[in-house]
Amino acid sequence: MPVLTKAMVPGLLTTGGSTRVNAAVAPKFKKGDKVKARNIHPPGHTRLPRYVRGKIGVIETDHGVFVLPDSNAHGKGETPQHVYTVRFGAREVFGATAGPKDSIYADLWDDYLEPA
Amino acid sequence: MNGIHDLGGMHGYGAVEPERNEPIFHAPWERRAFGLMLAVFAGGAYNVDEFRHSIERMAPADYLTTSYYEHWLHAVETLVVEQGLIKQSELAAKWAALGKGGA
Repeated sequence: MPVLTKAMVPGLLTTGGSTRVNAAVAPKFKKGDKVKARNIHPPGHTRLPRYVRGKIGVIETDHGVFVLPDSNAHGKGETPQHVYTVRFGAREVFGATAGPKDSIYADLWDDYLEPA
Repeated sequence: MNGIHDLGGMHGYGAVEPERNEPIFHAPWERRAFGLMLAVFAGGAYNVDEFRHSIERMAPADYLTTSYYEHWLHAVETLVVEQGLIKQSELAAKWAALGKGGA
């Protein structure tokens, strides 16, 4: 089993254990695309919060390729894919009493999204 | 998992009030919990996603009433047992000894 040495610590702390992957994976979406967060309810790990599921937003930023938590948390491999910041209107997510000009930004993996 | 950790949009928890002048660690045990998590992570017992998911799997009432580093400690304890590094009976024996004022 590998051992944590003093020399390893600064690097580990500065990267924060980043799960960015250096893999050439094609994105399904690009900035400006209208997307819908999928209405999925996996019993295992996911980073798709319930409050955006089924909601329509716009791709704001493509952050590059990262390990998919849904598979990696269960020994099912890294499934590397693009992660995007998606902008949702506040009223889309939280209804008519939310601010008319407010937005919710969520960082979402490619598999969490479908074209809208 | 539609678990207790997925709090966005819920009502009833009150305003988020960041702790003023929060120290990096509130007590020496938090510093040790931080180091413990990193050491066992570097040893390959779990990845960060397994770590997060083990916290999500806490009993909801426990999740809501324990602190950040208590969550981390719960995660390490859960994962080292699930990975077969430590037996649950060894953990339980240690907790019992500590409860009696042991070390």
